[in-house]
This record gives sequence, C-alpha cells and structure tokens, in this order.
Amino acid sequence: MKFGKKLWLIFGPVVIAVISVWIVLLLPLNHQRVSQDALRRGSVSLSTNIYHGQLFKKQAFAENYVPFLGSSELLRMDPMHPSVLAAKYHRSYQPFLLGSAGSQSLNHYFTLQGVHSELKDKKIIFIISPQWFTKQGQAPAAFSYYYSPLQAIQWLLTAKDSKATHYAAKRLLAMPSGKSSLIVENCLEKTARGESLTHSDRLLLDLRRHILLNEDALFSRFRLVDRWRRIEAGERVLPKRDSTTSLNRLAIRLARQHTTTNRFGIDNHFYSERLRGSRINGLRDSQRSFDYRQSPEYSDLELLLSEFKQVHANVLFVIPPINHRWATYTGLSMPMLQQTATKIKYQLRSQGFDHITDLTNDSQQNYMMQDTIHLGWLGWLKVDQAVKPFLTEPQDQPTYHLNSYFFTKNWQESLTLQKSDGQHGE
Amino acid sequence: MINLQPYSNPNYFMILLAALLPIMIGLYFGRRLKIYEALFTFSFLVLTFGGDHWHQGVALIIYTIYQVGLTMGFERYRRTKNQTSIFVSTVLLSILPLVIVKFTPLFPNDHSFNIGFLGISYLTFKTVQVIMELRDGTIKEISWQQYLQFLLFFPTISSGPIDRYRRFIKDYDHVPDRKTYLADVDQAVFYLFQGFLYKYILGYIFGTLLLPNVSQAALSQRYALGGTGISWYLLAYMYVYSMYLFFDFAGYSLFAVSISYFMGIKTPMNFNKPFLAHNIKEFWNRWHMTLSFWFRDFIFMRFTFWVMKHHWVKNRVRMSQLAYLVNFLVMGFWHGITWYYIVYGLFHAAAIILNDYWLRYKKKHADQIPHNKWTEGLAIFATFNIVCFSFLIFSGFLNQLWF
Repeated sequence: MKFGKKLWLIFGPVVIAVISVWIVLLLPLNHQRVSQDALRRGSVSLSTNIYHGQLFKKQAFAENYVPFLGSSELLRMDPMHPSVLAAKYHRSYQPFLLGSAGSQSLNHYFTLQGVHSELKDKKIIFIISPQWFTKQGQAPAAFSYYYSPLQAIQWLLTAKDSKATHYAAKRLLAMPSGKSSLIVENCLEKTARGESLTHSDRLLLDLRRHILLNEDALFSRFRLVDRWRRIEAGERVLPKRDSTTSLNRLAIRLARQHTTTNRFGIDNHFYSERLRGSRINGLRDSQRSFDYRQSPEYSDLELLLSEFKQVHANVLFVIPPINHRWATYTGLSMPMLQQTATKIKYQLRSQGFDHITDLTNDSQQNYMMQDTIHLGWLGWLKVDQAVKPFLTEPQDQPTYHLNSYFFTKNWQESLTLQKSDGQHGE
Repeated sequence: MINLQPYSNPNYFMILLAALLPIMIGLYFGRRLKIYEALFTFSFLVLTFGGDHWHQGVALIIYTIYQVGLTMGFERYRRTKNQTSIFVSTVLLSILPLVIVKFTPLFPNDHSFNIGFLGISYLTFKTVQVIMELRDGTIKEISWQQYLQFLLFFPTISSGPIDRYRRFIKDYDHVPDRKTYLADVDQAVFYLFQGFLYKYILGYIFGTLLLPNVSQAALSQRYALGGTGISWYLLAYMYVYSMYLFFDFAGYSLFAVSISYFMGIKTPMNFNKPFLAHNIKEFWNRWHMTLSFWFRDFIFMRFTFWVMKHHWVKNRVRMSQLAYLVNFLVMGFWHGITWYYIVYGLFHAAAIILNDYWLRYKKKHADQIPHNKWTEGLAIFATFNIVCFSFLIFSGFLNQLWF
C-alpha cells in the first residue's frame, strides 16, 4: 500500500495533466465568437494565425467582410489602402486581408478551405502579382510558412475526386509541409491516386481536425499584430467626402512628400532601409533575365480558380503595375510583363472570369507604386476605382466553365496563345 | 516506412512511454528484462534510422560492427601486451570515421556514400573512452553484448549525455530496490516535465518565435556602424540565440536523462545552471558537462601527462595554458570545420587562460580584493556576457552577416 501511494504521488499529477489537456482539446469549443473589435483588428493584422486558422475567417465572411487575397502589397497601408477607404467612408464592405510576402495561389487555395459555406456566392478581390510566376513557382519555404495542417485536413475531408483535387494533392506532397504528418501524407497519397479515404482515415482526420479547431479557437486571437491603428491614422488624413478628385489630389501630395530622396519614386523609408548606398549598384540590370511567362504558378492559379467556381464566388482580379523607373534600372523587360499579363488574362477570360483590372499599362504613371513592385497612393486609388463599384453595385452571377488544360505542363510553358490553347477538351 | 526522430513530437513520447512500461514494471518487481530491453533498443533504432533515413541505418550498422571489432580486438591484445604504437593506432582507427564525416562538408561535390549518421560523435566519444581505459587497465575485460548495450543505449544515442562504461554497466547489472527505483522514477517524471518546459515552451519561444525576427532585424542592419553590422539587434540576437541554445539542448538532455532513469540507468546530467557560473572555468563545469568532462579526462589530462612525461614544457602554468589551447581547439574542430567553430574554440581557450591569470592574481592578493554579494553578481554577469558572446560566434550568424 505504501508503494501504491508513492506511485500515485509520482504519476497522479501526470495522469491528471494528460486528462485535462485532452478535455480542453476535445471540448466543443468551435462555436466561439470573436468580438467585432477583434474581427476588425483581425481583418488587417495579416497575422499567420488568422491565415492558418478558421475562427476569424468564418465569422468575417459571414458578415460584410470581403476577402482580399494578395501578397506583400497588402501591407502597404498608406491612406489610400482599401481597408482605410472602406473604413473611412463607411462602405458596405470592409476588406479582410489574406496574404503577405511569399503567399501565392497555392496557399490561398488551402486557406479558403473550411470556410466554403461562408464564401458561397460571395465577392472576392484577388490581387495577382506577376512576380509569383517564376520558373520554380511557389517557394517551398514560403509555402510552409503559410500552410497549416488544419487547411489540409479540412480539404482532405471535403475534396471531391477531380483533376483539380489530384493536382492539389500532388502539389502538397511536393512540398515539405505535405510530409509533416504521417496520416496527412498517407491520405494525400490516396487522394492523389484518386482513391477514397477509408473510414478509419476519416476518423483520425476528424479527431485531428477537432483538436486543431480547438487550438484555433483558444489561441488564434492572441498574438494578433495590431495594425488597426495605422488604418485609423490613415482615416484622419483622408478628406471628409469620398470624391475621386480630392482623393487624387491628396494621393499626389502624399506621394510627393514621401519620395524625395531618390529618382525612382520609391518611398524614402523603403529606399533608405533597403536600397541606399552600395546596395543599389548591385541591383542595376539585375533583373534582365527575369521571365514570368513560364511557371508552374499558372496551374496553381487554375487550382484557385476551381475553388472560386466551386463556391460560386464572383471574383475581381487585379494585376498590379510595377515601378517603371525601377524596372528600367534593373533591366526588367516590360514586353515580358505585358505578355505575362496577357497570358494570365487569357487563362481567366477563356474560362469566364471576366472581372479583370489589368494595371500593367499604368506602370508609366507617377505615384502608382509605393516602392519597387508594391501598390501605393495613386495605385491604390486606381484599384479602388474598380473595387468600389464591383463590391457596392449588384453584379451578374458569372458562369465559369473550367478547362483542365490549364493544369498541364504544356500550358505552364506555353508562350503562344493560339486558338487551340484551351480547346483540348474538358 | 515510419521514421521518428528522437523526442521530436508528442507521438514519439507516447510510443516511447508505452514501450517503456514493461521495463518499468519489471524493475518495480526487481527484475531487469534484458531481452525485452534489447528488442526495445532495436525497435527504436529502426524507428530512428529506418524509413527515409535508411542510409543512416546502414552507416550505423557498419560503424557499430567496425567499432565493436576494433575494441574487442584491442581488449584481446591488451590482455597480454601493451605497446604504445598499437594503442595509438587503435585510437586513430576509432576516430577515423568521425574525422571523415567532419571533413566531408569540405568536399560538396563528392557524392559517394555518406558514412555519417545522427549521433556518430557520441558513439565515438564512448569507444575512445573505452579504448583509453583498457589501456589504463581501469577496464579489464568487456563482453561484446554489454559493450553493444552501452554503445547503443537508446535514450542517449543521438546527442548524449556521454556516459562512462564502468558507470553504465554497474547500473545495468544491478537492479535497484523498489524504494530506490521509485525515487528514480519520481526524478524521471520531474526531469521529463522540466524537459517539456525547456524544449517545447522556452526553447520554442526563443528559437521559433523570437529568433527569426531578431535574425531578420539584425540582417537588415548589416551595413550599420561603418559596415560592421554591429547593431542593437545583433546584441538581441546574441542573447536570444544563447537562451535558445541552452533551453533546446538542456531540454533534450533532460529527456535523455529522464528516459534513462525510467530504465534504472542513472545517466549523468548535462547542465547545472550554467549561466550562474562565476567564471569561465566554472562555466565548463556546468555547461554540457559530460562533454567537457570527457574532454578534460581524455584530451586535457592525456595531453598534459604526455607532455610532462617527455619534459617538453617545464613550467606548470605554461603547461596548463597549452593544454587548454589544445583542448578547446579540438573541441572547435569537433563542432565542425568552419572558421566560427574554430574561433569559438580559440575564444574559450583565451578566456579560460585569462581567467586562470586572474584567479592566480586573486589568490595572491586575497586581502586586497573585496569579496561580497556585489562582486559575485558582477562575476556572474561578466561570465554570462562573455559566454553569450562566444555563442554568437558559435551560431555562425556572423558568417551570414558578413559574408
């Protein structure tokens, strides 16, 4: 008996700890709600826990928040940033920013899993950067940063057998993230082969999903980066009335003030932090060989399009311009950029995605960009001229007709947009 | 094929503890299940070195056969003869695989079979120790089964702590009485949870949450202060990295010690509040202790005796300074053949030599130098910062910052 008591003294606390952890993880916590204030901060925080999780997204998309998918430009929060404009003028929508430096189509595809019912028939803004379309496409390290097992499990549990599904499973398996969990890897391999998951697979995934959802509910509201203050600071600068002329005037004034130290029209702070001194010399002609016309990213984009179709989303695509003076300095080819935009637009239009704002040809204009490749001031206003009517006025429900040709290597590497492209059968 | 890296995730601990249960029940009832333990070790070796790490598994098998053959051969030889040249060649042959592995990164274009595997250093420390003790006669005979148990003792195979043969075998051959065993298990549970706190909470905070941020901030300042890259962020990196290094490795060591205790083997501790050391010498008695004691016994002492025997250096002070230099240089090279590991070794050699000067000076002038809480605090503070600076060198971050 004496030893029995001693055993209990040793292991009792461990047993109690293990049981309480399991209780917390298995408690039905996924009906938690986030306060309006937290949601507002979450919509502009760009924190990875929001991108990884689903608590915030689910609630936001059920309300008047509109997903703004993109990458590093979303962080350029000057007063003309979409989140500032929408907040200041009490528009019927508020952007929910998803994506940051390094997140591309494949990440966006997975981050939209788990919120399908909230996305149904919703409008979405999608800013496609030509810079994503490199020879290698999505960088595995960046992908891992934005990937979460919850996204993959939600996807595995709902994916229907299709070419898009096989493609997505293969892409995920090609990333280190896809191999980070044995059960997920196993199920991905089955899905990639077109086999259905067994009952026990689903049971395990379900359990894991439950635990992850609880972790999301418990922890995702912490460690939010607070950027709402920057939005408020922007609001204070904006004119009282939402008028194009006064906004344009303000944008030009601000842009002039912030681009005084260099001849590229690059924000002073960015220039002094990242380019000044000997660094800039090393960048001269450094982008001469950049080519965005052939890339696996085109098929990743197709995957995201299939997602848009699945949820009946009405999507406005924005192709941002780049800083023309910077491009000249680094030797980036403008014709190449135009061809890239044309290829992207062809892929979109030929499948019924007609809302496209291509700003590539606005690159020449001053004050469009905050720095080298990121929208700012007049650029954001130009985006707003398309975004505002798209989101505030009723739009026809589009019909999309997808073509699996865009998943092929042929399309990824195609340099000519012949009539036959896109005709290779459904 | 499943592959699990030691102490890497909750699943691993669950499988490990479940597999430990029969061993624990056995020990509780006063019996060591040697056959089960051998099977247990084998299965976990397969889990660690199987699957897509199979090439490491092959390397481990070849390496083990080689070392056991070498050691058993030397043991047989040592029963009748004791020639220095044979002893030296045996030691050289024993460290040869490790030397090859350490030089491999210098030839990135050589794609022949890599003989390295996780933990090769720690196995080499064990074999060299046994060969040296055979030479000294402190180990008279070994059986290959026991030697295998010692070499491949699973909890410590990947990164130590480095146990000693005689100490290990004493525990292994001996079954503790129930009261002692329960006290060990109590300690084991405590170490396990301390390890969780260190590795998965503190190590995570410093290594995963803070380190990438300070690293990026420090790299963005690489042109600061006249191009030296010296900035406040670099200082922050130094401290964050040092904390990460300690909590990650101390956490891992606690796991290894904890699991050993569950098995009734009292593997020695690796850390003893190293950042509370009053000077560098004391620091090395508190930091990665099994490694520094190994170096003390088998590099520092051996080197000292060897030089003294040949009367190459007469002055005792010069003698120990030279031994420190050799000791820490070897340690630097062992970490890897890059400039920053070697500079790290030299830095610690210099620090400990200067420290010796100071200690001798202090002893001579004991009546003039104040000693109180404040001076002790100052000593701890100074030692801590010197150590953190050495870890900044060790981290290789300066290499990234400058080149």
